[in-house]
Amino acid sequence: MMLLRLWRSTFGSVAIVAIAFALATVCIGVVSYVVTHEALEEQLDHRVAIESGALSADAREGGLTSVARAIRLRGDARTSSSLDYLLIGSGGQPIAGTVTPLTPIGNGYEELFRFRRGDHIGVGQSLTTQVPGGRLVVIADRRDLDEIDRTLESLVAGALAAMLALGIAAAALIGWLTRRRLARIDATAQAIIAGDLGRRVARDGSGSEFDRLAATLNRMLDRISALMDNLRQVSSDVAHDLRTPLTRLCNQLERAACEDGDTGRMLAIQAARDQADELLEIFAAILRIAEVEGLAERRALKPIDLSDLLEEMVETYGPDFEASDRRLVSDIAPGLLVRGDRRLLAQAVSNLLENALRHTPVGTTAKLSSLTRGQWTVVELEDDGPGVPADASDRIFQRFARAETSRTTPGHGLGLALVRAVAVGHGGDAVLSRWEDGFGVRMRLPTAV
Amino acid sequence: MRILIVEDDAQTREFVAQGLSQAGHQATVSPDGRDGLFQATGGEFDAIVVDRLLPGLDGLALVRALRAAGDVTPILMLTAVGGIADRVEGLENGADDYLVKPFAFSELAARLNAIVRRPVIRASDHSHLLKVGDIVLDLHRRTVERAGRRVHLQPREFALLAELLRNPRRVMTRTMLLERVWDFDFDPKTNIVETHLSRLRSKLNAGFDEDAIETIRGAGYMIRGE
Repeated sequence: MMLLRLWRSTFGSVAIVAIAFALATVCIGVVSYVVTHEALEEQLDHRVAIESGALSADAREGGLTSVARAIRLRGDARTSSSLDYLLIGSGGQPIAGTVTPLTPIGNGYEELFRFRRGDHIGVGQSLTTQVPGGRLVVIADRRDLDEIDRTLESLVAGALAAMLALGIAAAALIGWLTRRRLARIDATAQAIIAGDLGRRVARDGSGSEFDRLAATLNRMLDRISALMDNLRQVSSDVAHDLRTPLTRLCNQLERAACEDGDTGRMLAIQAARDQADELLEIFAAILRIAEVEGLAERRALKPIDLSDLLEEMVETYGPDFEASDRRLVSDIAPGLLVRGDRRLLAQAVSNLLENALRHTPVGTTAKLSSLTRGQWTVVELEDDGPGVPADASDRIFQRFARAETSRTTPGHGLGLALVRAVAVGHGGDAVLSRWEDGFGVRMRLPTAV
Repeated sequence: MRILIVEDDAQTREFVAQGLSQAGHQATVSPDGRDGLFQATGGEFDAIVVDRLLPGLDGLALVRALRAAGDVTPILMLTAVGGIADRVEGLENGADDYLVKPFAFSELAARLNAIVRRPVIRASDHSHLLKVGDIVLDLHRRTVERAGRRVHLQPREFALLAELLRNPRRVMTRTMLLERVWDFDFDPKTNIVETHLSRLRSKLNAGFDEDAIETIRGAGYMIRGE
């Protein structure tokens, strides 16, 4: 558990990697130590065997005296790396030798043969061979071998220490660097939490993973702040747009309270009720838009006959257009199928038709057309009225957006917002197809297959 | 009629109870779901008005419990949440009709009238014929006659008349007609119901002195057929 926590931190993971490297170094050191040691031992054995062979041959030819002479000669000429010799008679008495044995003399090879030479007490590898009239011991001092061993040991230990020190230092450095870089992000996040929503993570432009993370975080923050701005805008729009009808409602109720006559009071109350109804309508529209915006994830849409629905809408609204001296014509391809919610689509088309009824001058002709183009089915309502100013065309799908020219006509600016919400909720979109010399809205809906 | 009102909001409860009493009904009130269920299973009511969100036991559960116990008393569900899914859920759980707050009392009264004593006209041998007074509507041949004289109607006008004929002597409100004839669950700003109704009326009344469709001021429309 502790190890897992350590591993999770940058310092910990780098430290663990460093320790692994150090262990690997130790393994390599041990292996090379053993191999070198064995090779050297073998070499010593080999020298001892050759020398024993040579002296044994001497003994067979010239007897023990010849061997003793040879040993003495070698003893006089010895250097630090020379071999040592011992010749013992058959009774065990020493005949000649360069050393005094401290270990009982056996037969054959002896790994740790202790001896004394002058002041030096050494350990060597020995080979005892039978020669006529006695035994010959040839000894190779292990001093050099031990020295090499020690050198190797200290090398391995040094490498281990260096690896560990380097590893811990690297871990500390990388951990510190990581923390320092993350601290910048952390500080920015803390500042944002504290309310400074405009803060962004500083970038060094290096393209490193930290820099890329900073860029991603900044994009996320931009998106969040755009959404929040939108929400703020909508809330303030709602508050703003509700103030007018609420003020009117207050005024009407005050007037009702002041009215003396029953008829006058009834009229004032009726006016207040109408005003309240309008407020409720605005709320219903806002809630509807919110509901439609969550449509895609909530419900499975069924294929519906769009042609049938549109013909029905034309028949439903035709009389109203006629009664108001406008014209509604249609060009609807038969058998259009889209995946959708019939009532919501009806409401969207109804909003378009009502806009045309409300915001166009008498004598205007509106045309509802629909056809399928590949995977999209297009529904378009166009009229030959005056259209809207170009600057209004950008905002016209936003909540409470109303062209200046329609300020004086009834409506609350939520109709087209709902049209777009319905189209988007169905996986399509709604755009203005015409805003000069007429007005046109085109909805794209996914064709059902 | 004896009507049980299960509603936790005292103001709405009194408003509905008072209105129903004034209309000559006997209203019993209950402030929460558990008590409401107890009263509903105990008393003989002609209809029950249930709020969807109630303390103790919510409206949906109350309706489910009643239906599970085999009670078929007509139920009108009231709600402040008017989403499409909520409406469907209410009806699927056994409510007979669904009314979104805020509502006009006339709307509530008309809907209560419509759900009580349903189904209405089901003449088994002439199930495709709707006949009220001197008006006969043939659902199969899609023809309408008044006193034996053919009347030519547009499809929406035909559907509108059929809905009125299915509910003779009952007030049909504008919202009810929008829901049933147009399948609109929203309220259009324009007077499509009024426009189509006036066209239907002028076609039906051509050559007759008596108005076939009665307008109930502030409430809706009704075919009396007398």
